[in-house]
Amino acid sequence: MWESLPEFGTGVLYAVLVSAAYTFAVSIAAGRSRPRLLQSARLGAYGTTALVMLGVVLLAYAFITHDFRIRYIARYSDRSMTTPYLFTALWGGQDGSLLWWLFLLSAYIAACVRWLEGKYRSLQPYIIATLMVIVAFFAVLMLYSANPFETSIAGARVDGEGLNPLLRNYYMIIHPPSLYMGFVGCSIPFAFAIAALVTGRLDSEWIVAVRKWMLFAWMFLSVGNALGMKWAYEELGWGGYWAWDPVENAACLPWFTATVYIHSTMIQERRNTLKVWNVVLICITFFLTIFGTFLTRSGLISSVHSFAKSDIGAYFVGFMVLIVATCTGLITWRLPQLRAQGRIESVLSREAAFVVNNWALLGGCTFIAVATTWPLFTEFFQGQQAMVGPPFYNRWMTPVGLLILALMAMAPLFGWRKTSGVSLKRAFRLPSAVMLSVVALHLAFGTRLGFPAYVLDPPTYRGIIGTVVQQLSAITPLITVAFVSFNFAVVYQEFQRGVRARRKNAAEGFFEALGMLVKKSRRRYGGYIVHLGIGLMYLGFCGKAWELEQEASLLPTETAEVGGYKLTYRGSRREVDQEKQMIFADLDVERNGRALSQVHPAKFIYNQNGMAPTTEVAQINGLRDDLYVVMGSIDPESKRATFRIHVNPLVAFIWIGVLILMCGSFVSLWPEVSLREVSAWSYVRATAGVTSGVMFAIILASAPAAAIENDRDVLSRQALAQEARARALPSAVAEPSGPESGATGKSFIAAQGVSTWSGLSILGGLMVGAAVAWAGRSRREASQLES
Amino acid sequence: MALPRPLHHIAAHARWLYPLVVVVLASILGHFLGLGLGLLIVGGGVLGASIWLIWSSLQGLGGNVPLTLEEALSLGAPSAEEEQKRSVLRALKDLEYERAVGKINEEDYAALAQHYRSEAKRLLRAVDKDLGPERERAERILAERMARGSAASAKRDEAAAAAVVAGDNAVPNVAVPNTEADWDSDTANDDVSEPAPLKSPTSNTAQ
Repeated sequence: MWESLPEFGTGVLYAVLVSAAYTFAVSIAAGRSRPRLLQSARLGAYGTTALVMLGVVLLAYAFITHDFRIRYIARYSDRSMTTPYLFTALWGGQDGSLLWWLFLLSAYIAACVRWLEGKYRSLQPYIIATLMVIVAFFAVLMLYSANPFETSIAGARVDGEGLNPLLRNYYMIIHPPSLYMGFVGCSIPFAFAIAALVTGRLDSEWIVAVRKWMLFAWMFLSVGNALGMKWAYEELGWGGYWAWDPVENAACLPWFTATVYIHSTMIQERRNTLKVWNVVLICITFFLTIFGTFLTRSGLISSVHSFAKSDIGAYFVGFMVLIVATCTGLITWRLPQLRAQGRIESVLSREAAFVVNNWALLGGCTFIAVATTWPLFTEFFQGQQAMVGPPFYNRWMTPVGLLILALMAMAPLFGWRKTSGVSLKRAFRLPSAVMLSVVALHLAFGTRLGFPAYVLDPPTYRGIIGTVVQQLSAITPLITVAFVSFNFAVVYQEFQRGVRARRKNAAEGFFEALGMLVKKSRRRYGGYIVHLGIGLMYLGFCGKAWELEQEASLLPTETAEVGGYKLTYRGSRREVDQEKQMIFADLDVERNGRALSQVHPAKFIYNQNGMAPTTEVAQINGLRDDLYVVMGSIDPESKRATFRIHVNPLVAFIWIGVLILMCGSFVSLWPEVSLREVSAWSYVRATAGVTSGVMFAIILASAPAAAIENDRDVLSRQALAQEARARALPSAVAEPSGPESGATGKSFIAAQGVSTWSGLSILGGLMVGAAVAWAGRSRREASQLES
Repeated sequence: MALPRPLHHIAAHARWLYPLVVVVLASILGHFLGLGLGLLIVGGGVLGASIWLIWSSLQGLGGNVPLTLEEALSLGAPSAEEEQKRSVLRALKDLEYERAVGKINEEDYAALAQHYRSEAKRLLRAVDKDLGPERERAERILAERMARGSAASAKRDEAAAAAVVAGDNAVPNVAVPNTEADWDSDTANDDVSEPAPLKSPTSNTAQ
């Protein structure tokens, strides 16, 4: 088999296409007139999934064995790469990432088909059929335009080109899979929507099922975007985490529409209205995932993320046209059944607040979509591309973001249908008092603490509009802090009122009441926890208003001071390993007269052809702020070095917020146990499922620790090197070091360790989950036999 | 053709045992003999699984594969009314919560609760009506089976009495009832039969 691996791999892709087409046909037959064929369709879906997995395993095998006959392997790996990065290369380039996309989609399909057993009988055939169409599209795409198993015309090389060094980062290992999980996850709600439209089963029940899938995808979209931010912050060295790059924007567009859907579906559940709206939202979200992929891969808009230009854009355009035509046709056909049976009765109701929030979120989404595709419009009408930069986005998205924050904070205070003035006054009392107190404190002590409430930036525009925008922008920090405090108070109040109600009715202790409250209403309180996380993230974003930046050109022993930090430049050094030269600058850092640490910003010059030197950022992370040092250039003669020093306040709150958001999502996703399954086993199964989820969360959460560990290894080595230099042992520093002894080698070893641990954790979790599920299944079969 | 009982058991457990064996084998050999070999074993395992799954799917097309109990049950998925009933009950639960935390006044609570309860009653009636023929059919099958059981029991008593009268110590040629085995064989036979007309709109046209 391994003698003709490329041909076999291509054959597997053909088999995927055939199997998907077969399953599609059987599903349609099962849906139309032969329900017993459903089992065949389900097995066909599993079989297609297995074939896709086989394709991924073959590509992984080709990477591990350095099969440089395959063009993709030769382009994205080399013999020096360690195993974790060889696996990362699976999604490091266009062809492989499409296969990886298909693999994740297949995993979703298998999970969905398994979950559908015994549920939604009339929808199942069409759900499977829709998913098979998506599988078939990606199979066609790979077979005819981006085949990861295609061989090089020139034959096998001795060694490959290697993975882009910028992608050799821990966060880059987990960022694309997380984001893809989010993107691909939107296919399941879409398949449900198409099935509901085809069958006419447009009641509210299917939408309940879809909500969990959408929430799952939404969580991964959030985490994926956050990991991308973390990677950009650590690796790109421009001092920020979000640059409004077209690909970043494309990744956040479905996040907006998914957020809108998660909220508006509640209105349909409670009030039996907004049916068209919800179906449209699901379709738009799926469309945006494909559109985002199209933007990333077609090379239509220039971006730092873009894959190489290729002809796959035409395929995507065709698929997008198919999606739009199908959705429009089906929705128009079912419009009479989608008419609302309820209506929004009062503006002082939760549904009204949700609708306004929907419009704010969609407004933001539309703004970003138009601004992102603006170069295409200008090229079409004016003949040349005109881009809009980050200041434009920051200026106009800030008010939209604040409106969303305010509505998010206030919505839980309203009841469904209508809220009386008395209830509303009572609900707003505590959060308003907290907000006003925080505003007063901010005004009084903000400047003294380094977080002034009023920050005046230079005007972006001329005239009165410019002045108005400038003044509004100046009070943004104060408004953000006010709304965030209001949001926290609302979440606290919701928990407190719920606990009080339970204690009153059931005579429970505080913690028992709190536990039962969350247990009995997981979706609601999980959502409040998510709101808490998003509030913290807003606080982190707000920190940008207080950031400090300074350029410094220093000779050894000279110092620079920024925001309470004093940096003393000690000198530079050069290290070499198998794949690159590393130029380090060593700086001592003091804060308020106390020695804090050392930082070592660097430039890495890779041996890889055509690769520009990379910037390696040095950071000291804290809850209050991050010290972020970037080396610009260094003069080998005089040792004069230029630095860009940033003090970025409150950035840590973004990452903490994401972790809290994940916790809230897990609480919401915790499976409901049906009455039929009330037994110890059902809880055990649920626990196993959530344990796997929590393990994943721990893996993600431990990423910073791993990164810090890597940094610590690098730092300790550098400290040793410095010590050796101080003892006049220059060879210890100047001697070229192999990958196992150099800083990068350490990082690789640590990354491998983390990867092994992660792999073992996942394997362990899956085995425990499978064993428990098996036992639970036997128990369930026994109960069914008994009944 | 139904599988012999031991094979049936193995087949039932294969869906869990097979991946477990492949993963364990791949982990052990991959660890000691190289990751490449481990991946090849996983690939081989996945290839085997995909062939088996697609073959099973193709067999199902002819309708000559018996449905398992679980599969048959999955065909009897909840009807639209049952699913709507759950939705209404959930709305009632939410309403109780809103009232408990004081987000809804008594007047609105009463109106909404009344609305949801009447909706729930309507759906329960609809579900009951749908299930009526099924219940009658189940009762009829049960009655037939019980009648068959008592006839077999009488026959067995007669045979035993005859054996005693003839002074023959040989075991009478009548199957000793084994509840579990009987249940299995019965279900195996029943599995092949057509599924009953079901509640979902499309399921009453079973082939």
